[in-house]
Amino acid sequence: MKPQTVWLCTDTDLNLAGRYEQVWLVVSDEALTIVALPPESEQSVIRFHVARRDCGEIRTRRGVGGGFLQATIDGVFVDLLAYSNAKADLFHKVQAKLQPWLRGEPVEVGPSDDVDPRRCPRCGMTLQFKGDVCRRCVNRGAVLLRILRLMRPYTGKATVMMALVLVGIGLALVPQQLTRLLVDRVLAPGQAHNPVLSPAAARLWLLGLVGALLGTHLFSAAAQVGRGRLASFVGSQVTYDMRERVFHRLLQLSIDYYDRYNVGQLISRVAGDTEQMKQFVQQLTGGVLQQIIMIVAVGAVLFGMNWQLALWTLVPVPLVILGATFFWQRVYPRYYRVWDANSKLSGVLNTILSGVRVVKAFGQEPREQRRFGRSSGYVRDSFRTVEYTVAAFNPAIGLVFQLGGLIVWFMGGQWVLGGQVTLGELLAFLGYLWMFYQPLGQLTQLTSWLTGFLTAAQRTFEILDTPVQIAEAEHPVAIPEMKGQIVFENVTFGYDRHQPVLKNVSFAIQAGERIGIVGKSGSGKTTIVNLICRFYDVDEGRILIDGVDAREIAKEDLHRQIGVVLQDPFLFRGTIYDNLTYGLRETVPEDVIAAAKAANCHDFIMQHPLGYDTYVGERGAGLSAGERQRISIARAVLYDPRVLILDEATSSVDTESEKLIQDALKRITAGRTTIAIAHRLSTLKNSDRILVVEAGRITEQGTHEQLIAARGTYYKLVKIQTELSRDESVDALEVELKHVRR
Amino acid sequence: MSGAEAERAMPPELGPIPGDGSPYDLADPTATRYLTPDIARIHLGSLESLHVTVLNEGIYGGVHAVYLFPVGFPGRYISLRHTDSKGEDVEVGILRDLAEWPPGARELVQNALKRHYFVHVITRINRIRWRYGFLFFDVETDKGPARFYMLWRHDRAVDYGRRGKILLDVDENRHLIPDVNALPPRERNEFLRYIYW
Repeated sequence: MKPQTVWLCTDTDLNLAGRYEQVWLVVSDEALTIVALPPESEQSVIRFHVARRDCGEIRTRRGVGGGFLQATIDGVFVDLLAYSNAKADLFHKVQAKLQPWLRGEPVEVGPSDDVDPRRCPRCGMTLQFKGDVCRRCVNRGAVLLRILRLMRPYTGKATVMMALVLVGIGLALVPQQLTRLLVDRVLAPGQAHNPVLSPAAARLWLLGLVGALLGTHLFSAAAQVGRGRLASFVGSQVTYDMRERVFHRLLQLSIDYYDRYNVGQLISRVAGDTEQMKQFVQQLTGGVLQQIIMIVAVGAVLFGMNWQLALWTLVPVPLVILGATFFWQRVYPRYYRVWDANSKLSGVLNTILSGVRVVKAFGQEPREQRRFGRSSGYVRDSFRTVEYTVAAFNPAIGLVFQLGGLIVWFMGGQWVLGGQVTLGELLAFLGYLWMFYQPLGQLTQLTSWLTGFLTAAQRTFEILDTPVQIAEAEHPVAIPEMKGQIVFENVTFGYDRHQPVLKNVSFAIQAGERIGIVGKSGSGKTTIVNLICRFYDVDEGRILIDGVDAREIAKEDLHRQIGVVLQDPFLFRGTIYDNLTYGLRETVPEDVIAAAKAANCHDFIMQHPLGYDTYVGERGAGLSAGERQRISIARAVLYDPRVLILDEATSSVDTESEKLIQDALKRITAGRTTIAIAHRLSTLKNSDRILVVEAGRITEQGTHEQLIAARGTYYKLVKIQTELSRDESVDALEVELKHVRR
Repeated sequence: MSGAEAERAMPPELGPIPGDGSPYDLADPTATRYLTPDIARIHLGSLESLHVTVLNEGIYGGVHAVYLFPVGFPGRYISLRHTDSKGEDVEVGILRDLAEWPPGARELVQNALKRHYFVHVITRINRIRWRYGFLFFDVETDKGPARFYMLWRHDRAVDYGRRGKILLDVDENRHLIPDVNALPPRERNEFLRYIYW
């Protein structure tokens, strides 16, 4: 038997029955073998063996939660092995490595092939994507520390605020001492074994002590005003900073983030959750921190006055701590549900109101009412669950405090009767007692507001911590004057990493060329455009623009010089002029008018009483689809992009509008690289070249005439459109078709 | 002889096409064909791959099975698909109800479904821990005890019908809880504490 070189050997985790088993793939010069190591047996078993010459094609097929390596044998795709998604990346790589093997060429496998780029090299944890930061290894601060760090720019104001908190607490301790003096020196001096004052002296003492009480309260109120204003300033400023950061991150995040998240939920996070930061700062300074210092200060005074009586005041404290711990565990997850319910309600409301025309057109108001009712009911129930728990907890804790007060009255009363403590001391003690219990009671609410706050903070930081996948290159290449040459080199890409939409696509577009892209829905046309615009990065291969990898080009240069006109143009609330000049730093009215005329929209703009200053509503409400489209074309013209992409730019407009748009496009595409996607093939017939995309691959390319003559997919598509439509432009194609047939 | 072997040994019998007799065009995405035992045979072909023979039409090899409504109608509405000569995934036909088919064919389709859907069904939650923004699960599944971790993020735990959840771990393996309410109270509370949406 001739010795064979083993080119590739790797294992998978599943057998073909979908059960865990160690199964090996062994690829030698002339054959591919699948060997299993069944757990119940010590001997390996050959499950499959096929000669290279019998394999037609090798590919991976995606299942649910896993996939299959397949080969065509006798014209039929046969499963060679199965793998779970943990091994999916490995077998995509194996499939690519086996392509040269099928042609009898050596398989190139190096040490780098054993490295899984989705694992952290330090701890082995799986990363979200290649190059992501490992969450385990990164040094992360706690949520509270992160919030405190946000307050750093306001350290000066925060210091003054804290000083005012301390002054306020100091002043709050004074009235009880004054009261003690009032009772023991003026009102009942005999009881405290003090000399009895003359009526005049007593009045003088009384006046002085009441005046001192008034002064204390006045200073205390002033300190509170200052502290409250500063807390409001710092809190609202931190909230503003956080909102800005969150929104900035949302703008940085790639399009696939928005593919995954509901816009209503994101609105709730930006608007609602960041507002919680303000409450946090205000609570921290005006509430919690003040209360903690108050407890410590009052506790020190109580123990200084009478340590035995002070000990009795601590009796309820363990019960309070136990209760708070219980509260934390029970309430914590329920606050999440409240947040989730509110966020879902926003999402449902946003969806229904955005699509209200569809709802009314289909007469589905009762159905949507029910849907809203379900979401609203979820909010009601989740709030109720939290509030029921809170409503039971607070009185229970209050009862515990009352018990402590009664203990002090009983013990202190006995000592007053026995002459060990003066009446003034007991009254002062009771005054301090409530100053001790009140913040302690409020601190049990700490769990309540802290959990609410942490919920919001967690949602907010989730956005801030989401890595930016389409990041600027470390050393971006500036292309201030793009020529517009675009090259796809073996590009593979999928929105889901296990399901490629584009498969090993290669083509080149010369600067100034007009390219049409046709293909069935879902074939990958728009994906090509998305990749050129760098809304996503390729999984394999590369895209070169003017010879530079798109990932290396400065994002600003790339986006400034690639203009896109979409099927459903998006206009913002504002004037037509604002929409036309959107994103342009400097522009003059003359340029705007010229662009509007080139895009055939000047005349309809002038039909409006306010001309270019006409205010359009959300998403361009008040304008027809054709008018919105022409404005978006004028906007693209103003940008003067070197590459102009038209993605179904005329598919949602009527024939007359289409003609106006086509006329405009003819004018503005001259001298620019133009890539047009269209289902109406008549709009592409003047392209320099047409690319036909089928199932993620470029299957045909050439001029309209060449493709018609080739009698391939393009020819069939033209034929279908000619048969289906009596549209004038398609009829024109039919005439050409007949001409070619002759 | 097992049911599958019986099906494999039985040659498909050809006969007239029921209905109007017009041929079914696999490439036509608008056409729908329900396969029944009267017009089709499901059997194993070369190299143990699933084959479907349609009367008066031909044999389709390398077939795989996919549910149309995996949550709404499990066991019903199953699409049998194969890769055509252009490399496109096309539907040979739909099985309306697997119960209509003989035991051998049923077993073959069920095996094909098991092969296509690699999902762990969670039967018990032992422990959930939250660390570094991940949830670490220690669970019992239909495939044995399992430990996995997932990002604590909304899109990693998706709805499965009205009451279930599918958890997608960091490798995008799937872990199914068919009915969260059916979990014992401790496990349910533990689960809802983190997966509250």
